[in-house]
Amino acid sequence: MKCEEIREMMPDLASGMAKVTPEIKGHLAGCGACSGKLEEFRKTMALLEEWQAPEPSPYFDVRLRARLREEVAKPQAGWMGWFRRPVLAAAMTVLMAIGVGMVFSNGDGIYRHGDNVVADNDVSSQAEPGTAVGDLSALDKNHDLYSDFELLDDLQVQQNVSANP
Amino acid sequence: MDGSVLMASLGSRPGALQTALAGAEPYTDAEVMLRVKAGDESAFDYLVQKYRRPLVSFMYRMARNSAVAEDLAQEVFLRVYRSRQTYEASAKFTTWLYRIATNLAVNHARDTRKERPEVTVSLDEPDEETGTTMDVRDASMTVEESMVRRERLAAIRGKVEALPERQRLAVIMHKYQQMDYKQIAEVLKLSESATKSLLFRAYESLREQLKEFI
Ligand SMILES: [Zn+2]
Repeated sequence: MKCEEIREMMPDLASGMAKVTPEIKGHLAGCGACSGKLEEFRKTMALLEEWQAPEPSPYFDVRLRARLREEVAKPQAGWMGWFRRPVLAAAMTVLMAIGVGMVFSNGDGIYRHGDNVVADNDVSSQAEPGTAVGDLSALDKNHDLYSDFELLDDLQVQQNVSANP
Repeated sequence: MDGSVLMASLGSRPGALQTALAGAEPYTDAEVMLRVKAGDESAFDYLVQKYRRPLVSFMYRMARNSAVAEDLAQEVFLRVYRSRQTYEASAKFTTWLYRIATNLAVNHARDTRKERPEVTVSLDEPDEETGTTMDVRDASMTVEESMVRRERLAAIRGKVEALPERQRLAVIMHKYQQMDYKQIAEVLKLSESATKSLLFRAYESLREQLKEFI
């Protein structure tokens, strides 16, 4: 076994996540550089242990439930979501019967609604699609993450639409 | 996991999951997530109970503020909930979860760095986030001892925070979330060997910079 192989395993060996096999033990017994380094890594990790994180607060669940309720109550993003709501669909039908022009003159209400949705969702609105994964190259091709921003993409597209009717 | 504990902790309705959990069949998190997708809310509660603590601690070490950490951890759960319909069990659930968390944490770090260009660990200011000033000093400690300990803690936090972004993420996942190379590699979308060398370099530089405390 080479020193390089031991080095590769060093973080897991020092943390106890990797087992010290007889082969590794043999190398460490005969190699002062590796055994010394392992000891230093162990001490470093023990030192890092001092940084403790707090427990979740007792209100964590309550707050999360409230945010989830808000999420569920939030009208669906996008035009189709509006048409699925019976009262609004009826209102829209009336407006359309009166004339397409009226829809646009009442566009203000729709516009404002769009803003509210974004405002409710402030954490994700900070994370613009495109910069969300940004230059962290490791995450560049992360489709899962991009899919998390689908809702946001949707909202922003919607905003653009209503901004330029 | 005991179904009654679940229900008591989140006050959820008894659902299919509790019934299922009462049996001997262990469910993977991916399977639980598929139940969330199918509309089983108790399955979502189960995931919240299971990952609430690890996510708060992950976010705390990324954001260094417990209120922000809770907020970000909740945001992870909200995103999990929001993406339930598009969830595919192809990736390991924790990999998916930590990718969402990593993305949020990195964005938060960048946003706050813009606001406060010099994030320094001050020894003078009390530490609102951990309540370090309160629990760092226990009754058996002298004033000097507690000061030394506080300084050491500030150094640890400062040095971990000063690591390059990916090294910092890797150390936090490895050291504090007990994730192995393979999982970290998957979350960061790196090869296993790149992850190993990333971690080695990170610990090596922490060892070097913290040697006065070792
Ligand atoms: Zn060696």
